[in-house]
Amino acid sequence: MTTQRLHPRVRIVWILRAVLVATVLSAPVGGAAYLSYLPTWAPLVVGGVLLTLGTAHAVIRYRRWRYEIREDALYLDRGVITQVRTTVPLVRIQHVDSRRGPVERAAGLASCVVYTAGSRGADVRIPGLTPAGASDLREELKRLAIRAEGEDAV
Amino acid sequence: MKLAPQSIPYRALQKVSGVVLVIFFVVNDSARLGLLPAVGLAGGVLTVAFAYEVAYYRRYEYELTTDTLDIRSGVISRREREIPYRRIQNVDVSRSVIQRAIGVAAIDLETAGGSETEGAIRFVTPEAATHLQREVQRLKRGVESNQEGESSTAPEGPDEQLLFEISPRELALVGALSFDGRLIGLLVFVGSGSVPVVSGLLPDASAMALSGVVIAAVGGLVLVSWVLGAGVSFSNYYGFRLSRAGDELRYERGLFRRYSGSIPTEKVQTLTITDNPAKRALGYATLTIETAGYAPGQGGEDGNQAAIPIARRDRVYDLAREVESFGDPAFTRPPRRVQWRYGIRYLIVVSVLTSVAFGVNSLTGVDIPWYAAALLLLAVPPAAYLKWRHRGYWLGEDHLLTRNGVWSRSVKAVPYYRMQNVIDRRSLFQRRWNVATVVADTAGTSSLVGDDAAAVDIDTDDAVTLCDALTSRLQASLNDRRPRQAAFEWVDTEVVSSESVPEPSDTEPESGSDEVEPASKGTVSDSGEKPDDNDSGTDSTETDDSGTDAVSDGDTAELGPNASERDRE
Repeated sequence: MTTQRLHPRVRIVWILRAVLVATVLSAPVGGAAYLSYLPTWAPLVVGGVLLTLGTAHAVIRYRRWRYEIREDALYLDRGVITQVRTTVPLVRIQHVDSRRGPVERAAGLASCVVYTAGSRGADVRIPGLTPAGASDLREELKRLAIRAEGEDAV
Repeated sequence: MKLAPQSIPYRALQKVSGVVLVIFFVVNDSARLGLLPAVGLAGGVLTVAFAYEVAYYRRYEYELTTDTLDIRSGVISRREREIPYRRIQNVDVSRSVIQRAIGVAAIDLETAGGSETEGAIRFVTPEAATHLQREVQRLKRGVESNQEGESSTAPEGPDEQLLFEISPRELALVGALSFDGRLIGLLVFVGSGSVPVVSGLLPDASAMALSGVVIAAVGGLVLVSWVLGAGVSFSNYYGFRLSRAGDELRYERGLFRRYSGSIPTEKVQTLTITDNPAKRALGYATLTIETAGYAPGQGGEDGNQAAIPIARRDRVYDLAREVESFGDPAFTRPPRRVQWRYGIRYLIVVSVLTSVAFGVNSLTGVDIPWYAAALLLLAVPPAAYLKWRHRGYWLGEDHLLTRNGVWSRSVKAVPYYRMQNVIDRRSLFQRRWNVATVVADTAGTSSLVGDDAAAVDIDTDDAVTLCDALTSRLQASLNDRRPRQAAFEWVDTEVVSSESVPEPSDTEPESGSDEVEPASKGTVSDSGEKPDDNDSGTDSTETDDSGTDAVSDGDTAELGPNASERDRE
């Protein structure tokens, strides 16, 4: 399997999330402006800056995200500030979920979560898949994990 | 089998004694009610609790079947739980002072699943507890040897071989050297409430007197926390002994509350050897053994999890090799340029401290020597050097070893076979220095708090080869264990052949990583700090032993959960 990228629409999901975060974070500033502790443009500027940062983060995140099913491992490469490359040996996969949150459903997307017994990378989430792609990936990983003959994982 | 009958009054009192006391005093003190209603009410609560515990006792039943430990319990909602022996990680028995007096013991069975203890049996007689501990081990082996088809290898009741017993001198050292910084934080937090009182008593105190008080207070805090820490670890490790019985390690410890438990060696996830400057100067170290259940010896309340609280350094290494024979480590250090990274990091900390001191000095008018903080600058280069010097990683025959930490230095040994994930992580700042951190994640417990074995700040090229080497060595170790297993499983030639195909290609990345090691500039092979290897002769036999155990451990027929249970209302 060659290197896969996420569905471009995942950017919309992440940008929506950035909008939400920007709104929540600039709400106190808005309150302060309403009570005229701060000038009225302050919440707009704060919100705008946060939104810009969030959007840039979402776009770069989309560009960085890659995953690949290799011969004996699932390989993920992601992260903007801290780049993380995770190698999940297929033998270590405990179970695989495909899941769809409300925002993801609205954007027509789904994600796939891979669980191992490890503690730090215990659940590896691959977002931005089409619903069919997510269940295909789940089935594929399940098949490969069984073929890889997972022994007693711990 | 049933619980100990003494547990009925003990459990009842344990649960409601506080409530009963409160009820008694509140009702007795109130004007309209008197002594009689108080006694009546308290007696009523006690009776109800007693009746409940009698029902609990009657309902509670545990049984050792051929391959599972079954626990049936519950008064109102019934629960039946079956724990396969092979999934049991640890069996722990603890007895507090009161429990010892009335002759009961608490058993905790840990499996890797879930966050809490899977099987908590409260309470049985000490004899029954020891019996259960031994039986679980015996039956576990029985299950495995049956599946292997060679039951003759299992000796009945392996004799215990004492590995380590704490000497009074070592016990005193444990107390003296276990300085817990967290206690200071706690005491400061508690003591901060008294600050307004103290400052009220000293209205016209000069700055000199104030700083004198502060210094005395800090000294007192350090002393008190040191004494407390010493007391806690003294009572924790009093009478510590570690022995080996077949494929299990058994420990016993505790002054007030006695703990005893078993650690199956084939379930070991990580070995950690820690020391601090004091221990290093005296030539001592601490060994921690981790399984997936939890870190054994962890009392729950203090987070102490040492398998060997303290022993001579070479002794600790010998014992560690006995559990996992990782050989003689020769650590590869990160590239020298990361010293600059650490230097800059410390420089920022020092300048922040200095500017805070300066700000306090100029804003509040309290005359403190703010430039004293700048003296810390002198400590920056040695600190950066030491931080670099104490880092390192080493790829052994079957283990990855990592070393980190200046103050409390820890060497971690992870068997390749136990790795779950390999994570290569590069922060924004690490990318500027072209370095990366490689984490080998296991199912061990300390990785829950982010304490995984990690090769920190190694060159990015080395990181890539290290990741490849780790994953291929994991596959190789799995392949090593597979052929013997395939003999007694269903014959699926296609799967077997496709599994054995990667084997020749596995060796390539490994040899590649070996080539890289000498080629990478600035890495220094650390041979000066190799521990003495006195015990290599016996090591090999020990590994063979644990190797076969682990093979039989890896049985694919059972992919089910660790403990199956049925709840019904």
